[in-house]
Amino acid sequence: MDFRYTTEQEMYRQAIREWLTKNLEPRARAIDEAEAGIPTDITEGMAELGMFGVTIPEEYGGMPLPDEERLIYAMITVHEIARADLSMSTPVYTLLTIGWSYIVNRYGTEELKQELLPAVAAGKAFAGINTTEPGGGSDLAAITTIAPWSEEKQAYIMNGEKAYVSGPKECEKWGPPSGHCTLVKTDPEQSYKGFTFIWVPAHLPGISYTTYKDMGRMGLSTGGWIYKDVELPKKYVLGEEGKGFYVNMDGFNAARVLVAAACLGGAEKGLEISAEYTAQRKTFGKPLGKWEGISFEMVDDWMQLDMLKLNLLRGAWMIGQEHTNPGQFGRKEINKVISTCKCLAPTLCHDIARHGMIYHGAFGYTKDTPLEMLLRGVMSYEVGAEGGLMIMRGIIARDEWGETHNPFKD
Amino acid sequence: MDIVVCVKTNPDLEMVRVKDRVAQTEGVPYKIGDLEKNALEAAVALREAGAAAKVTALCLAEGNRKAAEDIKTALAMGADEAVVVDDPALADPDEAAVAAALAAAVKKIGACDLLLFGEGSSDNYTGQVGARVAELLGLPQIGYARKVEAADGAVRCERSMDDMIETVEAPLPAAVTVVSEINEPRIPGLMQIMKAKSKPLQVWSLADLGLEAPAPVREIVSNLAKEQDRKHIVFEGTAAEQADAFVDALTREGVLGR
Repeated sequence: MDFRYTTEQEMYRQAIREWLTKNLEPRARAIDEAEAGIPTDITEGMAELGMFGVTIPEEYGGMPLPDEERLIYAMITVHEIARADLSMSTPVYTLLTIGWSYIVNRYGTEELKQELLPAVAAGKAFAGINTTEPGGGSDLAAITTIAPWSEEKQAYIMNGEKAYVSGPKECEKWGPPSGHCTLVKTDPEQSYKGFTFIWVPAHLPGISYTTYKDMGRMGLSTGGWIYKDVELPKKYVLGEEGKGFYVNMDGFNAARVLVAAACLGGAEKGLEISAEYTAQRKTFGKPLGKWEGISFEMVDDWMQLDMLKLNLLRGAWMIGQEHTNPGQFGRKEINKVISTCKCLAPTLCHDIARHGMIYHGAFGYTKDTPLEMLLRGVMSYEVGAEGGLMIMRGIIARDEWGETHNPFKD
Repeated sequence: MDIVVCVKTNPDLEMVRVKDRVAQTEGVPYKIGDLEKNALEAAVALREAGAAAKVTALCLAEGNRKAAEDIKTALAMGADEAVVVDDPALADPDEAAVAAALAAAVKKIGACDLLLFGEGSSDNYTGQVGARVAELLGLPQIGYARKVEAADGAVRCERSMDDMIETVEAPLPAAVTVVSEINEPRIPGLMQIMKAKSKPLQVWSLADLGLEAPAPVREIVSNLAKEQDRKHIVFEGTAAEQADAFVDALTREGVLGR
């Protein structure tokens, strides 16, 4: 058992931290305020260091990494980006793109992988997730977007509406092959068995979008899609037709690792900002950090952060092991570890940002510290996104205690 | 032309805390020094420009138990091979012992037309090692290099002096110590980091170099910086009088009117 990063993982972490501290951190505030997306020179620099290729095999333009370590490299990537861009714009952009590429690589057809993955690895495409509908996101079984197969067109014909989806403007910026992994009903008569998980390129005829005005992570757009008779050929199916729910859930576990990594990266940096300020700022003749009302709260946050970082590493490791050598861990075991991280990390990050603002006093309420930006950004992962916090609790209740505690079934 | 770059790893200065004016280095991770990264970048750039065939990174562990791991950053930055000299007798060596071990290692490496160093290390910055190794190997040495070119059996350097730039040339083989203006060291990407795994890396002891444990020739009396304090001068009178007195004081100190 070894809880340390490998030499290569640590070298990669140090290298990207150096680059991100120099190139991304000074521009995070501007990215948040401009609301114009992640600057292209930033995504180009990230691609050059290999950040968009961590989940993609070398044959599709990705990095030559052991498959069981890919999610750990992705976790390191997102954690470090989140430290540099506390608005959460760049970390979320990246975690969606590399997280859902991981699933495309695992479940996609050869044709789709060749179409999409080289562009993602080169930093020239956006990949996202598209499940929520205007009627809700947590109750996935209730979704209504349909895509029955048409023999005549030799395609699934998709009609419906999706909502609160990250990346519509990013798809427009990059053009094909950008798009989203999307959950649809290919057999509208069936319940879970009627679902198929399918790649939907954003540029296909019949697709249009609207955008929303968010409270945070302003460098990444959020919007809704409208689909009218969109033709999706078979090559875009992820996994098998009718098994979309399970493929989607597998994808969520990988994505939740990266969501938690973004929250913990932001939390770690937020706590460092507070530590630095409370060491310097003096009240009543001594530094703020000497007041136990402050330092003990910081310790409480630090302890949770330290435990969650370790648990997340364990979760990323479990998924990597299971994907490369199936049968080592049950789905429930993985679900519980990942749901724990996804449930606790956003709230911890929020608490650390809020505590830090209070230590800073009125200064903390200004935009001269990045803490308010962190607080606004991380709230996107408290309200939902890759599974709301109550859904995470429901998963743990179900998978730990069984049907007597399963809130998803009466 | 083959290049050997002497690369020192130092405690990460950003993580060193100071207690009673003494640097606390226990438990602090090591990393390659900033100027050594400049020297590495210069060597790799020469190879990429076709002026050199091979770049070897040479590191004396000097108490860094993970030197053989940390030197992989030099391989990721583009060095072709790495050699680490790691010996308990060299855990805290003086500059004479460092130079003797490096000179012996360069001889053992064999092919070395250009020997590059950072001008000084990030931690102690004595600036002695480059010159000492050059002397032991009988090589011409150029210091404070801010530009290095090599062609036709010679190395030509621009030297960064206080108020002028001097261009000098020396026949190869030669030793050159570089300053930070020479370049911006590259940050290795993940592809380079993974490729570094398969590059040759050797670890030698003093016995491998035919050397015995060195007898220290250095005695450190104190390496603390001189304590500084403010002068606590208070100017009085009208604003104009205070300003005049302030300018006079700065002039007397040599801050103004030089």
